[in-house]
This record gives sequence, structure tokens and C-alpha cells, in this order.
Amino acid sequence: MKILVVAERRDGGLRRVSLELAAKAKELGEATILEIAGDRYSPLPFVSALAKKVEAEKPDLVMLGATLNGRDLGARLAARLGRAYAADVTALAVSGNTLEVGRPMYAGKVRAKVRVQMPAVITVRPGAIPLAESAASPDVVKLEADTSAEKLEFVKFAPVASSGKRVSLAEARVIVSGGRGLKGPENWHLVEDLADALGGAVGASRAVTDAGWRPNEEQVGQTGKTVTPDLYVALGISGAIQHLAGMTSSKVIVAVNKDPDADIFKVADYGVVADVFEFVPAFTEAVRKARSS
Amino acid sequence: MKILIPLKQVPDSTVRVSVAADGKSIKTEGVTWSISPYDEYAIEMALERKDADASTVVAVVTVGPARSRDALRQALAMGCDEASLVVAEETAAPLAVARALAKVVEEAKPDLVLCGKQASDDDQGFIGPALAEVLGWAHVATITKIVPADGAAELWREVEGGHEVWKAKLPALATVHKSEKEPRYPSLPGIMKAKKKEIPERAFASLNVDSSAPALEIVAMEPPPARGAGKILKDGDAKQTAQQLATLLRDEAKVL
Repeated sequence: MKILVVAERRDGGLRRVSLELAAKAKELGEATILEIAGDRYSPLPFVSALAKKVEAEKPDLVMLGATLNGRDLGARLAARLGRAYAADVTALAVSGNTLEVGRPMYAGKVRAKVRVQMPAVITVRPGAIPLAESAASPDVVKLEADTSAEKLEFVKFAPVASSGKRVSLAEARVIVSGGRGLKGPENWHLVEDLADALGGAVGASRAVTDAGWRPNEEQVGQTGKTVTPDLYVALGISGAIQHLAGMTSSKVIVAVNKDPDADIFKVADYGVVADVFEFVPAFTEAVRKARSS
Repeated sequence: MKILIPLKQVPDSTVRVSVAADGKSIKTEGVTWSISPYDEYAIEMALERKDADASTVVAVVTVGPARSRDALRQALAMGCDEASLVVAEETAAPLAVARALAKVVEEAKPDLVLCGKQASDDDQGFIGPALAEVLGWAHVATITKIVPADGAAELWREVEGGHEVWKAKLPALATVHKSEKEPRYPSLPGIMKAKKKEIPERAFASLNVDSSAPALEIVAMEPPPARGAGKILKDGDAKQTAQQLATLLRDEAKVL
């Protein structure tokens, strides 16, 4: 079968999810890895160029990363071409002409197995496909965005002053999230120091982003980001069902909370009943030592 | 300005969803239904425009089963002006739903269509971009703010590290990630007013849209794998417990 992977770049290099897709595509059949070149993502120029490419090459399957832009482009592409579309796929298997995918539904409260008619377009969740560390960087074909299709005008980029240098939350292998138990934004250095010691990203519960302590983009959970890191550390998070929906697929979960009855402990592999203000600095120090020895 | 919001009724986000006996759908008995959370943000965003400019008209529509009427009533109670229902089977193909919504948009002639970025049942995030595609309109995904700008709108889109600001000539469509404020609760007068409002209803078939579209077939559903009972560390001195946890993460869980 023919597979077209739409790759994305971040800070110059291919995104990890693009490498994951390239590896999977090569395993499934004849793979082309494509990158759309443009100043920045915009739906019409990207979909216009990509749809022409897909119509010319007729891949059985188009795969994109389930990133902010990948999910947008994938949906519009599928609508334009009248192809079947499955978003945020976490597992896929092909037998004959049938594609069967696993995907979360109901904000992660249910996992569905879905039969998708090919030709199809799917977006695949970052981290869902295991990637060998030795995986070679794939050859990438460039496709120019079709700027003649643009109807929007880009005005400006307004940066937020936070966490710019850290890894992106959606793709991070380690995430440290803070909740109400941190008591205020002025205490976020506890979360950040631990994240830095672990080489991870910083997340937050909805209570925290709603209170304006942290930007929305850091919210983990339903109406925020769904994440699947190797290690998720929840600091002072009680574990509302909406938060759990966004992080229970993490490989290893550590929770620190002073309330022994907090729901977060029901999903934690390692639970620490302690005051975050006492425990976290000591743990950050212990992590630094453990990682350097 | 007229703003139209296609919304979807889904199980309330506090509901513990469980799989039905057929193994491929969810139990609906006893489920509390609500407006999908991102659609609520879209409604709030539109109502904030209305707060700023009273001439703004906010309309909601849904393509879905008859029970969706309650969600429309809830939207009216929040302060929306108009609501209409297109009764359809829950199994209607997503692209056919987008085509039906396009018909509604063409009749209602809104300046702006706001869709929640995804419905929190199937979590596909398809309808917004697909509706823009059927209409032939531009769209901006996952916005958090609208600034009107003379026949156009500035749409703030949350991306890694900040916001992209896009200017769209109207009419345009955006999918909504969040509103600046939390969605408002219906007020008592709002509820009373909503009770008196007509919610016109028609059948999906009466829209005469092409209903041929690739469908997804759900073959099985299961709860996410249960997590085993974890180790609980307590009552220790912070330093010792921290050391113990770091050692466990390195040697047992192998994640350090």
C-alpha cells in the first residue's frame, strides 16, 4: 500500500511525531514523507497544495501528526477529498484493504476500535508509535504551500512570556504538572525546577489555568491537552475526572498530595502523601543526584 | 453582527462513561447530557461580543437526535437569541452533517460561524474544518479571542509559545479552544425567557443534502486499561522519601 506522511518541523528539526509516522509508514508499505513549505501553517494554502498532491499520487493512507496544525489540516483535507477521517489515533493495523485504528473517545474515558474505509486520512497522537532511538532521519520531499489559495491575512505573533525554552507539552516524554496545592503562581519554581531536573515539560490543572496562574496552553485534561508521556508527575493535583482523562495513559504516574484520599492516588504508580512545599525541593535534589550518578 | 454556533449535546464532562452491553457504544441510561465544553466556550465568546455590542445576534443550531433540544434550550438560557434543531440519526456520516450545517448557514447568513474545536464524545474535531470546506470559506482553528475589525475579524489562535493573530474577511468560520471568561451559567430570567422561545425543528432528510460519505465503523469500545494499585509512600522524612522515590523511578520504573 501507498502511504503519504505529512511531516512537521519544530526549531529546525523534524518533530518527533513525524519520525514516528515515517517509521510506521515504512513498515506498512511504500512511504513518501512530505513537508509543506510555507512561512507558517494556514489551512487553505496547505490543504490546496496537499490535496493536489494526494489526487496525483493517490496514496491509500495519508498520515499526519495529531498536533494542533496536523489535526486541522487533516480534517479539512479529508473533507475536501471526501475521504474517511480518524483523528488522534493511538494504534493502527492494516489487513488487506481494511484499516483498523484505536482511538480515545469521550475525552479519553473510552477506547474505541474503529474500522476506517480506505482511502483515508488519519492523524496519529504523538508518542503512540514507539520509535527506535537509532531510527534514521527520513528523506523528506518538499511541497510549496499554495499561497494563491489564501483568504486570511496574518497580522502578528503575540508571544506569551513563559516556558519558551522547554519541550512542547504534547510531545514531552516527561511532564511535571502543578495544581491548586501549589497555592499560587509565585510557587511555580517548584514545578519548573523539578521539570528541568527531569528534562521535562511543565503542565497544569484546569483550576490553575482558569485562575490565570498559568497560560491555557499548559492545561492537561479534558478541554486541555491529552498527554501520554513516559513519566507524569502531578504536584498538588487532586485528580478531577477531567484531569485524569487527559493523563491516565501516561506510562508511569507519580502523584504528590497531602490529602491521602485524593483521587489522583487511584491512578498513581507511586503516590507520595506529603506537603509539596517540603517534598518537592528534596525530590528535585534527589532526581539531580540520581540522574548524574 | 450575526454569529451562528453549531453545537452538539454530549454526556456531561462529570459523567463516568461506561461501555454498553453491545461492547461498541456507551450506556446512555441515567446519563446527564450537556452542551459539549468547547461549544460552551464558543457560546460564551459570542455572548461576550453581544455584551459589548447589543445589536449582535447569537444563534445556535444542532444536527442530532431529538434529545438535543435540551442543549439548545440551555444555550438560549445562557443568552443566545435563536435556536433551531435538525433531527438526525446519531449515525449520520460526519461529512453529511457538515453539509447539512452548510445549508443552515446559507439560509441564516451569519457573519461568523463558531464551532467548538471538537465535540467531547467522538473527539474528532472534524465538523469545524469540514463545514468551512463545504462552504468554501476560510477558517481559523482553535481561537481564544475575537476582535472585530470593520467587515473583518481578528482571530487570536493559541499556538505553542503565544498567539497567532489572523485577520479574516467576513463571513468566516473559526473553531474555539477557549473563551476569555468561563462560560456563564443561565440566569433565572434567562431560563424563563428561554422557556418561551420557539425552537423550530425539521428533519435531516428535508435539507436534501448528499448523505453519501465515508463512515467510520466502531467495532469495539472498552474502558482504558485499569491502572494497578500503586505504591504509596508516606509518613517518612521528606528527604528520605524523596531519595526512595528517585531510586524507585530509576531502578524499578526505569524512567530516570
